[in-house]
Amino acid sequence: MSDLEDAHAIEKEDPGAIAEAGMLGRWIDRGGIVFAIGIVLSMVILINEVLLRYLFNAPTIWAHETTIFLCGTAFIYGGLYCTARDKHIRVVLIYDVLPRRLRRLLDIVISLVCAGASAIFSWAAWTMVLRAAFRPDGSFRLERSGSAWDPVYPGAIKIFLLAVLAVMAVQFLLLAFNYARGRR
Amino acid sequence: MTDIFGSFQSLGIESGTLLMFVMLLGLLVSGIPLAFVTLLVALVFALGWFGPMVVPLITSRVYTFVSSFVFVSVPMFVLMAAILDRSGIARDLFDAMKLLGGRLRGGVAIQTIVVAVILAAMSGIIGGEVVLLGLVALPQMLRLGYDKKLAIGVVCAGGALGTMVPPSIVLIIYGLTANVSVGDLFTAAFIPGLMLASFYVAYVLIRAYLNPAIAPIPDEEPVSIGEKLRLLKGLFLPLLVVAGVLGSIYGGVASITEASAVGVAGVLVSTILRGEFSLGLLKGAALQTLQTVGMIVWIGIGASALVGVFNLMGGIKFVSALITGISDDPTIILLFMMLILFVLGMFLDWVGIALLTMPIFVPIITQLGYDPVWFGVLFCMNMQVSFLSPPFGPAAFYLKSVAPPDISLGTIFRSLLPFIAMQMLALAILIAAPWITGR
Amino acid sequence: FEFRFQSSDPAGNPNFQLQQGWAESISDKTGGRIAIELLPVESIVAHNETQDAIVAGILDGHITDTSYFSGKDPAFGLVANPVGAWSSPDEMFAFMDNGGGKELMNELLEPYGLHFIGATTPGLEAFVSKVQLNGVDDLKGLKMRAPEGLVQQVFAAAGAAPVNLPGSEVFTALDKGVIDAADYTVFSTNHAQGMHGVAPFPVYPGFHSMPLVEISMSKAKWDALPADLQAALTESVAEFSRSQVAALAERDMKAIEEAKAGGEVTVIDWAPEERAKFRTIAKGEWEKVAGRSKNAQRVYDVLTGYLKENGLMQ
Ligand code: NA
Ligand code: NA
Repeated sequence: MSDLEDAHAIEKEDPGAIAEAGMLGRWIDRGGIVFAIGIVLSMVILINEVLLRYLFNAPTIWAHETTIFLCGTAFIYGGLYCTARDKHIRVVLIYDVLPRRLRRLLDIVISLVCAGASAIFSWAAWTMVLRAAFRPDGSFRLERSGSAWDPVYPGAIKIFLLAVLAVMAVQFLLLAFNYARGRR
Repeated sequence: MTDIFGSFQSLGIESGTLLMFVMLLGLLVSGIPLAFVTLLVALVFALGWFGPMVVPLITSRVYTFVSSFVFVSVPMFVLMAAILDRSGIARDLFDAMKLLGGRLRGGVAIQTIVVAVILAAMSGIIGGEVVLLGLVALPQMLRLGYDKKLAIGVVCAGGALGTMVPPSIVLIIYGLTANVSVGDLFTAAFIPGLMLASFYVAYVLIRAYLNPAIAPIPDEEPVSIGEKLRLLKGLFLPLLVVAGVLGSIYGGVASITEASAVGVAGVLVSTILRGEFSLGLLKGAALQTLQTVGMIVWIGIGASALVGVFNLMGGIKFVSALITGISDDPTIILLFMMLILFVLGMFLDWVGIALLTMPIFVPIITQLGYDPVWFGVLFCMNMQVSFLSPPFGPAAFYLKSVAPPDISLGTIFRSLLPFIAMQMLALAILIAAPWITGR
Repeated sequence: FEFRFQSSDPAGNPNFQLQQGWAESISDKTGGRIAIELLPVESIVAHNETQDAIVAGILDGHITDTSYFSGKDPAFGLVANPVGAWSSPDEMFAFMDNGGGKELMNELLEPYGLHFIGATTPGLEAFVSKVQLNGVDDLKGLKMRAPEGLVQQVFAAAGAAPVNLPGSEVFTALDKGVIDAADYTVFSTNHAQGMHGVAPFPVYPGFHSMPLVEISMSKAKWDALPADLQAALTESVAEFSRSQVAALAERDMKAIEEAKAGGEVTVIDWAPEERAKFRTIAKGEWEKVAGRSKNAQRVYDVLTGYLKENGLMQ
């Protein structure tokens, strides 16, 4: 009944960041655990909320905003994480039939284009952060949610998005550089 | 350089729209990560049509997209899938279902569809379901020697049912936009959802009986009663989890999003009861979830940004003029809308399509005297098609992210063609016979 | 002049359709010199991002519930929905026109690069409930949805257990009994969206909320307009707000008759004493919000000053 060869492995082998992502890629890969924990924490918070509300009629005012924050940061970081691990889905219909040298060229061009786009988005995110982190009179105040609890999550997510986009631009540049060097 | 900014406007909206589609298609097949295809097109048009000052529109939409409560259930479903994948629960479940399936040809594929419908009743969004079935059901069907394409089709089309069977975020968003009752929409979509699922079942049966090789019947030798009981134990915990999730939704304990967390907790408790739980398992599952949601969410982000840019270009006016100019015959206008939805479905994520078309279509539909609830079901069925249709088929991408590496996107899309045909048949039936929706 | 405004209402909503009528009337009024393209919510940016988009030059103006910007400054939340302050739209309009409200709004908005043209409102909202609520005491322990801001705070102070659910989950949550009541929107819209099918004890008129919907635009673009066009815009907003209130009140009445005729919905009206009790609780919360920012304190001072002067508050 039980074929040994496909007995499920409890711990799957983890490929980590691709070699071309370099040192930065390895850091990004390691940083993933923080946001993975955030996802698990979201689950715990939601369960806690259901129990508090259903059993004790005492819902919290922070549960939903906190899960949105944790999941939101995980979504953003997840994009960077996939970049370092080269796990973003790519339609490789043409790519696959190209000879090796052209493929490398394509990898370089794609990485440069994505680096450029990420850099422009970082600038755009910067203008957004300026409005989310400062009052019109120039004093510092992070944008809050405006709820009864009023956490600084909106401002924090905007700053985090800026940081991730900037790192992403650097990561794509590094990828382009390493593809060009032909490092494996 | 600055000459480029704003220069696209001289193209006019018609050529501009056409250029947008050409660029989408070109970038899609170039091998650029999908997440960046729509983002890049949005960027090019933001700069080309307007100028740098419009680029923050894109980051603003990215921010809005990632901080939306609607998507919290996605990581929950993916986490559930990742834990099931790492434990023996899923495998035992399918071993037990094999018994129940008995001598029926295609039994496991049909059971997968049944599981998909149950999952669909637990969640309002796809992504998580396709990943779950891809991790859990696909390897089992392949192990049993099922035809690869049949197995892939069942997993993608089945997983996509999540927005056709209530609860459904597509219908909720439609209800809010069109100002119609979400309850009426759910009631109207229920039978069409089951109808679509039954098409899939019929298809599996027909294929399996015409060509027994594509769906082998598992082990010929009889199984002892004791063995049967041991196998049936495998059903117990999964059923408990399903009961927990459905019970918490329909019993009024949890909201739909919260119920997805109940599912994760149920699966975690199951691994503890089975003695399989370890921190390593949880860590591996959580990291895989991070990667999968990163991929899923970033695919959706770009579509939302692109629609923002297109609307700013005057897209809303352009599309409404296009529709109202086509004919005076309501039927033709309706069919033309279906065509637009189909074409958009080839290039955009459903969120983008909904944001773009609903504000345009709904007022026209009401003016023409059609029932907006029935049209909501048509819209929802169209989104079923969009999940599968190439070149931008989210369900195919979600499956690709977890399928064995030797299954290519090309194979997945080819496997989906018959299922797309069935979805379009279902759509045609709904148009011809609106009474199926009870309206 | 061509302007692009974004509304905070979706395309199928009656509010949006009325607002579109306003946008068209501008063109007639100014002999085509001003053309406003009105876009539904989320078509360009999200509902709570329009302020930034106007400053960035992406949009020219918006028609939006001011409380969406409470995260920028609590003052927006307080001025947009001082729970319990107004018993009718006319009271709020009087404050806006002659009581310093307009000046106050511009004091708040101008630093953000916006000019406040005028205010409108969908009117007193109705409260959606699955259970019979006859007064403040019935709110004790009530599991209910309230949007962010002052409204939520006031309900918590009244002893309810407010849950922070997004609008998209309100229907299913009510249907399945996750919550028993919700602050949603006006009666006719609640009715059209089927809320009363799952929660048959609406409280109408509501006691809890009457949002301020601002019509404002980029200050730079406003300043560039000739004075006669500025006057025409201001006038058109004032006319629009009155006609919107009248049109929506009529819709509400029709929906109420329909609901009553259906026999399954019981419309509840609170006694004046109960409304007063709720108002007292609300006032206690105003002060707390006032303490959160300098601008909020300013709103509090102007508002209470006006209410006292006009005998609306002791
Ligand atoms: Na569903
Ligand atoms: Na598609």
